[in-house]
Amino acid sequence: MSFDHALRLTEALLALALVQQSLEHLRAFRHERFLFGVRIVLCLLVLVGVASPWPLVALAGLSLLILQRFQGPYNGGSDRLGLLALWCVTLARVLPVEQWRELAFGYLGVQLMLSYFISGWVKIVNPDWRRGVALRQVFAFSAYPVAESLRGWAGRPRLLVAMSWAVMLFELAFPLTMISQPSLIVGLVVAATFHLVNACLFGLNRFFWTWLAAYPAILWLQQRLF
Amino acid sequence: MANPVSLLAPALIPSWNFFDVIAASPRVEYALADARDAVLDAWTEFRPRPQRLSPVAMLARLFWNARWNESLFLVSCAERLVEEPTAHGEDEIFRRIAADLAGQPDAAPWLSFRLLFIDPTGEREVLYQAAPRRLADLDLR
Repeated sequence: MSFDHALRLTEALLALALVQQSLEHLRAFRHERFLFGVRIVLCLLVLVGVASPWPLVALAGLSLLILQRFQGPYNGGSDRLGLLALWCVTLARVLPVEQWRELAFGYLGVQLMLSYFISGWVKIVNPDWRRGVALRQVFAFSAYPVAESLRGWAGRPRLLVAMSWAVMLFELAFPLTMISQPSLIVGLVVAATFHLVNACLFGLNRFFWTWLAAYPAILWLQQRLF
Repeated sequence: MANPVSLLAPALIPSWNFFDVIAASPRVEYALADARDAVLDAWTEFRPRPQRLSPVAMLARLFWNARWNESLFLVSCAERLVEEPTAHGEDEIFRRIAADLAGQPDAAPWLSFRLLFIDPTGEREVLYQAAPRRLADLDLR
């Protein structure tokens, strides 16, 4: 995958992810409708490739107003990766030197890899995660399960230990999938399935679309490095 | 109010420590009253989750999940309010409860909310209670 192709694919997928998020805000208050209405228009300009890179620059500027509006990301980690991806693709479009543009885009790929590895590391050093207790707590009392019936999973300790170890080992092993393009593709399919399960069980739909949008960056980075 | 550049920095240099520690989890509860100084004893959970959700409904939420994402935003507001109380966090929670109650014309005029935290042992503790506000004074535009 060439740099231009990967960058174009990332910005298009990111624009679609941001449109999906923005539509959800149109049912809210007037100020939010205005901010996210403008964001939808800018995303559509990115999608059709009009006036590049200015719609991206405007989206990056608008992201600061949205951060100010909510005093932080609206939806935690998913919005953080969305912001990172937006600023990286914007810099990859506007920086004057090719190596700098590659560095900005490569940074997104590196952070995507780290998002799995560090998440795995902080879990495996915690005894509660190793014993399945942390995941039991997530199901038992956290705000995330989308239905009360899912809280019953807290009473299945063997399943939760297996799930905990599957998640931790996959996240820790993810950097190894960068050895070859086929192994990375397998890794990304597993990762996307993981995000899909999180979206279904915990309602974290924004993670699914935002992480998917950044996948071309890591696919390009793998080819660039190996 | 934090400035937007300081809010952007954690996104550009992320920590990625998702679910490293499972902390006490907040629930937003609200109560309505006829007077500002009325005793509030009938608390209602704001947007309780459904008993069940079909796989089709779960998949549909991939594309439209506005209310749930708003509820997760209120969880963030609740956590921030307990760590460092701000008018912004309280305003956000008041406005979104009031917006849900807007379809109930017979609702009592004074609204309050409290934040109930459930810790890993199942213990429940109210860590924040907002002073009542008149529903009519809340800006729902």
